Amino acid sequence: MASSPMLDDLDQIIFDADAIQQAVNRLGAAISADYAGRSPLLVGALTGVVMFMADLLRAITIPVSVDFMAISRYAAAPRTGTVRITKDLDLPITDRHVLFVEDVVDTGLTSDYLLRTLRTRHPASLKVCTLFQRPYLRLLEVPIDYVGLSLPDQFVVGYGLDADEYYRNLPFVATLKPGIRSE
Amino acid sequence: MTTVERPRPIPNPPVAREDIVFSHPSEAEFARLLDFYDLDWRYEPMVFPLEWDENGAVTEAFTPDFYFVGQDFYVELTTMRQKLTRLKRHKIQRVQELYPEVRIRLWNRRDFERLMTKYGLGNKRAELVGQEALNNGNGGGKGNGQ
Repeated sequence: MASSPMLDDLDQIIFDADAIQQAVNRLGAAISADYAGRSPLLVGALTGVVMFMADLLRAITIPVSVDFMAISRYAAAPRTGTVRITKDLDLPITDRHVLFVEDVVDTGLTSDYLLRTLRTRHPASLKVCTLFQRPYLRLLEVPIDYVGLSLPDQFVVGYGLDADEYYRNLPFVATLKPGIRSE
Repeated sequence: MTTVERPRPIPNPPVAREDIVFSHPSEAEFARLLDFYDLDWRYEPMVFPLEWDENGAVTEAFTPDFYFVGQDFYVELTTMRQKLTRLKRHKIQRVQELYPEVRIRLWNRRDFERLMTKYGLGNKRAELVGQEALNNGNGGGKGNGQ
């Protein structure tokens, strides 16, 4: 990352890689303890969750399985469109202990929609884990059982969080310099 | 002994989704977002009386823009100037004094702009935010928003 051209676009590091890894390890330990004796299925909401999911899986010490879902994006939808599941689960979740994993919960709209969808499939239990949250943007109450870090009221990128699909691969979270991305 | 009667909200007549006339383009975009996520919502379903004259007639009221049916709470959305936001904040405070069971949140211009950024609509600010949006000819009809 030392010579990455992406670094020129960044202003301030909000959470460095160590802080993120500590949060991930803490979540992994809590999940391992709470689900001891069970084999939960971790369900991730693509795309931003991939980095967190990869690290979280390695921080969990009990047997787990993993699957992913994806839904269409609002900005790309027809003006009268509704959300579509663009990638559904490959594994059945009925009677499974499901842990829904998000990179960030802010408005709660996406999480609420996916949780409603998952509930219709009758899992044995359904909990929510997010690495980041933005409570000040919350529109719908989402029952979050595991939360890593609260983001400041700034536009940030990195560790899964994007600006027009870029910067997800930064190992830390940072703000962009003014003018790099029009908000 | 005097009986103090608790104030009661007044329901507005239901309006079909296709017949709703939003008072500001930001409200129309917000409604589209809620539709996208398949949420059950109502537009201005309830009027909350705030002040009465000596005859008991309502002299001041507040009508929140959106009601989320499943979550049982209201959102008042305003992207207009700061003075109007202060007025609405004051009215919401009064609603919560008179109707403590009602949950209501004010979404101001900054909140809405953050929402636009999140959903990739940052380039539509002039069409959706503030007086500029109305000046650009995007105004809806008359809503009930107060």
